[in-house]
Amino acid sequence: MRTRTRVLLSVAASVAMAAAMSIPMSGQAGAVGRPGGLVGADGEGVAAGPAGPIPRRPDGHPDLTGTFNGSPGGVTHTVILEEHPGGFGVLGGQTLIIDPPSGIIPYQPWALEERNRRREDANGYEDQVGHCEFYDIGRIHSFTQEYTFSGNTFIIHATQHITRIVPMDRREHLPSGIRLWLGDPIGHWEGDTMVVDSTNFNDKTRMSLGGDFHGADAHIVERFQMLDANTVKWTMTIDNPKAFTRPWTMTSPALMKRLKPTPDFDVEDTCHEGNVDLVHLKNTYEKAHGPGWPWKNVEHGR
Amino acid sequence: MRHRVLTWLIAAAAVAATAHSVSPTIGAQTPAPGRRPPDLQGVWRAWNLAKYDLEDHGAKPGVPAGRGFVVDPADGRIPYKPEALAKREKNYAGTKDPDPWKNSDPLVKCYLPGIPRMTYLGWPFQIIQAPDYVYFVYEWAHKKRMIPIDSKVPLPKDETAWMGMARGHYEGNSLVVNLTNFNSYTWFDMAGNYHSDALQVVERYTPINADTLQYEATMTDPKVFTRPWTIRMTIQRQKDVGVLDYECTAMLDELGIHHTWPRDFDEEN
Repeated sequence: MRTRTRVLLSVAASVAMAAAMSIPMSGQAGAVGRPGGLVGADGEGVAAGPAGPIPRRPDGHPDLTGTFNGSPGGVTHTVILEEHPGGFGVLGGQTLIIDPPSGIIPYQPWALEERNRRREDANGYEDQVGHCEFYDIGRIHSFTQEYTFSGNTFIIHATQHITRIVPMDRREHLPSGIRLWLGDPIGHWEGDTMVVDSTNFNDKTRMSLGGDFHGADAHIVERFQMLDANTVKWTMTIDNPKAFTRPWTMTSPALMKRLKPTPDFDVEDTCHEGNVDLVHLKNTYEKAHGPGWPWKNVEHGR
Repeated sequence: MRHRVLTWLIAAAAVAATAHSVSPTIGAQTPAPGRRPPDLQGVWRAWNLAKYDLEDHGAKPGVPAGRGFVVDPADGRIPYKPEALAKREKNYAGTKDPDPWKNSDPLVKCYLPGIPRMTYLGWPFQIIQAPDYVYFVYEWAHKKRMIPIDSKVPLPKDETAWMGMARGHYEGNSLVVNLTNFNSYTWFDMAGNYHSDALQVVERYTPINADTLQYEATMTDPKVFTRPWTIRMTIQRQKDVGVLDYECTAMLDELGIHHTWPRDFDEEN
């Protein structure tokens, strides 16, 4: 008998190590590429039929129901959000940052220092994804996602057990004492665009394997704009004056394209149950910091 | 080292490919005329003593005494084969070790609790109904179940899953979920009640008023039990803030416990 104990996240964390070894820290001064572009990857997945007009829900708003993917293949953009060279098995990628025009995340100096510290190979053990914990909402842009509605709630499913339940009938965020891995999302329509506004983060997540983060006080606004029946444009604007000099906006590596529905999907995503790689990250971490270095004392942001 | 990293990278690429092929389906199927599934949607929580022990029990350290939840057989006892009882006792004895790696309860290591244990673990869960699927979204370790409704796709014969593999259908006012393909690593409660990989579970979710579900689960496992047995309990609607998050392994991190122990059941068993 084969037990479906798949180790997905720790594999990804290992990629971070490779990336950290091969990618220079000077990403802040790189040339500007096509926003949202991806170098060296192709293969669209299984696209659905020809695009038609935007399907509508009974209330007249776009019916986003369906399965979409915004990655033309590869996992490169969960590694680094800004433009980066390829190498060591990692696809090169152009920046996902569409604002500011430089394609560079406008970190405050302390935050850039912290991002670069996190990016170091020796600190990969701090990445919670390697521990089979939540991906940041800015880190699932390359995953296949499924959108659906339940009453007045918009629901985003992704692999790795990720489910974001977005109420559209709430006006205020949860009390600030409740801090959540994926934040507290509230949805509303602006024309044909589903706008998801999130606060109440806990600052334990990373936006990429390359160490990017937004901090607990971030205010994040995502826009899911249906362009035609098979295409959704997703953008995410992050604001947190404590960590950034100005708000900035990123998008997925490609427009989110509808995938042909598959006849069955009940594959169990497991991770922690088979996470045999975490010990290697720990060993690397302790080699650099000494055996007495306690994981729990690491400050996450400020 | 390089070879190893490349292996990881290839695996990661395979993961990306898998993400395309296993995308879920929400069709626009309309229910057959006259057949209206019960509305189970909302946030629910079973807040009772079942997580401690499914049978009648006296007080134990940190555990209140109380009634069990086994309604069949009528004596409220799980019908173990005589030779299978010793393992239950050994399981329970092993739950007293404070070291998660040595503790016998798989839940202490934050492994998936299986079904039905996930239902009455005590954390809220949300039920979302779509035409072709019912989703169970659990606050505990952000786990999710997707139950295909009236699926004709056969299940694999040689694969197992921690939460079993599910096929759902509606029967009158109930959602019925048939579960097979379990592995043998999960338990039913903190008292060491267990099963083998021959386990089959039938879950039945039935609304009995606007804010209450009746939950029944019938367990069949000829390797461990002499006959099928059934538990029954009510589950209450939660009306406050919905499903939040409880990252079990992050709690180990916070306690300074490295969950880097070797895994003894990867792929083959």
